Parts: sequence; structure tokens; C-alpha cells
Amino acid sequence: MTTVPVPSAELTVGRQGHYAGAVSRLVAFGADVGAAWGAYAVGVALINLAVKLVTGHSYNLSNHQILALVTLSVWEFVYFSYQWAVSGKTLGMAIFGLQVVTKEGGPISGRQAFIRTIALGLCLLTLGIAFLGIVFQRERRALNDFMAGTAVVYDWDARAARLRWIARKEGPLRRGPEHTPPAA
Amino acid sequence: MTPNPIGSKVEQLAQALAERIVPLIVDAIDVDALIDRVDVEKMIERVDVEKIIERVDVEKIIDRVDVQKIIDRVDVQKIIERVDVNAIVDQVDIDALVEHTELGSIIARSTTGVVTEILDVIRAQGVGLDDFILRWGNRLIGRGKRAATWPDGPPLLVGPKAVTP
Repeated sequence: MTTVPVPSAELTVGRQGHYAGAVSRLVAFGADVGAAWGAYAVGVALINLAVKLVTGHSYNLSNHQILALVTLSVWEFVYFSYQWAVSGKTLGMAIFGLQVVTKEGGPISGRQAFIRTIALGLCLLTLGIAFLGIVFQRERRALNDFMAGTAVVYDWDARAARLRWIARKEGPLRRGPEHTPPAA
Repeated sequence: MTPNPIGSKVEQLAQALAERIVPLIVDAIDVDALIDRVDVEKMIERVDVEKIIERVDVEKIIDRVDVQKIIDRVDVQKIIERVDVNAIVDQVDIDALVEHTELGSIIARSTTGVVTEILDVIRAQGVGLDDFILRWGNRLIGRGKRAATWPDGPPLLVGPKAVTP
């Protein structure tokens, strides 16, 4: 039996729709970068294989650094902007239960997703300074959020998670037969 | 044996006299005033209700009641409309319900996978760390109290925050 305690209701229930904090967003972004790079690497390998099968010559994109950089940038742009435009969340955000919404809380438009992605690239150039708003701004918005008119909120079903947690850790089957209520 | 004629006459006279006098007396009595003088509480105290109840055959009464007819006359829809279901649900301690009943194990068996469990843990830990960074980050620059009054989320997703004095 795991020793992880049931988290307090304050940390789970009722957090849906609240502004997301720095750690969740950073970890989700890390997962996204990893997923995008992984998909890029797989794509490049498949293209190399296809070229080799068709032409019989090996073609390695990493030998053309500028082309590789442009391809990677375009891919990253598509990866983030497409997913934000479609569902308001990327793969990493979905895993960590986050969603991009308008500053009022509604679904974001394709235009906002586009601007947010461009602005994200610009913010990365500031070496993290543009992201300080996530900790020090009242709506936890980074510079790219201000430019696109968006905010990031918790989106995971925390109430269901808490019930699952309690069921796993405290349920009658877990506590053993001495704790199961007598049959009627 | 012949009846006594004098006795019979006297009896008739008394009967006629009573018939005329009694209505006069009854008219003269103020019944309301009489009732006012009766101490009903005292009378009730002297009644042995237990004894009366013991003598009542409840089974017989129930047998005579047409329950189906009563149920048919009840407008369930009207009763449901008057019930505030949200207020009832708010009073239910879902955590305790899941913890102490088989419902918990049903939820666990139907929804728990290893991935779900790991995600629940990571997300909850993430929320805790988010709060920690926000609290201490703002405390370091002397805005700890002000940060506590910041809104929880966008206005469409959460209501305005109640500010405690």
C-alpha cells in the first residue's frame, strides 16, 4: 500500500478554473518541448528512410543546420498554435491538467493561439524575465498571455481525482475485512 | 292490578312542568361563560391517554385506510419542484460517503489505472508547489498579504473572491 497521503481538499477540489501556477506550467512546457522534439526526431528519421528507399541515397537533415533550424521552428510553431487553437491545450498541458483561456475565461480563438505562439518565442528570448508575471502578477499571466489576451487555468477534474484517491486509500476493500461493514 | 289514577296524573303534571321549565333554564344559561370556566388543561391531565391508545385497534384502522387512494392524490411532481435538490446535495459529505461505503471501491475499480494514479499525484503535487512558489515569491518582495486577495481565476470560471477583513 502506498504511503502517499490523500491531498487536502484545498489542493484538489474546487481548483478547476483557478489560475495555474509556475511549477505546473513549467513542467507542462517541458513535456511539450520533449514531445515536440521527439515527434520532430521521429519525423526526420522517417523522411531520411523514405528518401533512402526512393533515391537510394542517404539524406541527413542535421547536415543542413539552417534548414533544420527553420524546419524545427516551423514544427514547434505548428505544434503549439494548432493545439491551442483546437482545444486550448497542448499535449503537455493536457497531461498536467492545464488549459489556455481568454482573460475572461472563455475559449481562445485561432488568432489568439497564433499570437500566443509567436509571443512565446519572443518571451523565450528574454531568458525567463517575460515569465515572471506567472508568479508576481495578480492574474498569473506571462508576457505572451498579455500579448494574446489569454490566461492559463487548471482544467483537471480535481473532484473526481480526490474521490478516486480516497477510494483507493481509504475504501473498505483496502482497509481489510475487519473494517468492512457487516452485511444487512 | 289497576294503576293508581292519582299517581298517573302527578306524573303527567311533572312531565309537563319539566318540558316548560327546562328550556327556560337552558336559555338562561350562558354556555360560553360556562365553557370559559372549565379548565381544559386540568381535564386533559386527568385523561389517561396511554390507556385510550391501548384500547385503539390500530391494525383495524390501517385496514380501513385506502393507502393507494392517498398516494394517488399526492402530487409528487409538485413536491419535487419544492425540494431544493442542490441544498440537499451540498449537505452530503461525498468524501465520507466514498470513504465508508462500497461506492469508493466501485469508483476505484472502474476508473483507476496506473497512469491515472500517477497523474493525480503529479497534478496535486504541482498545485501544492504552485501555491508555495506564489506565496513565498510574493512574500520575498513584501506583497504576501496583497497576493492573498488576488482573484482565484477568470471571472467566467470563478466567482469574485470573498475578502476577509
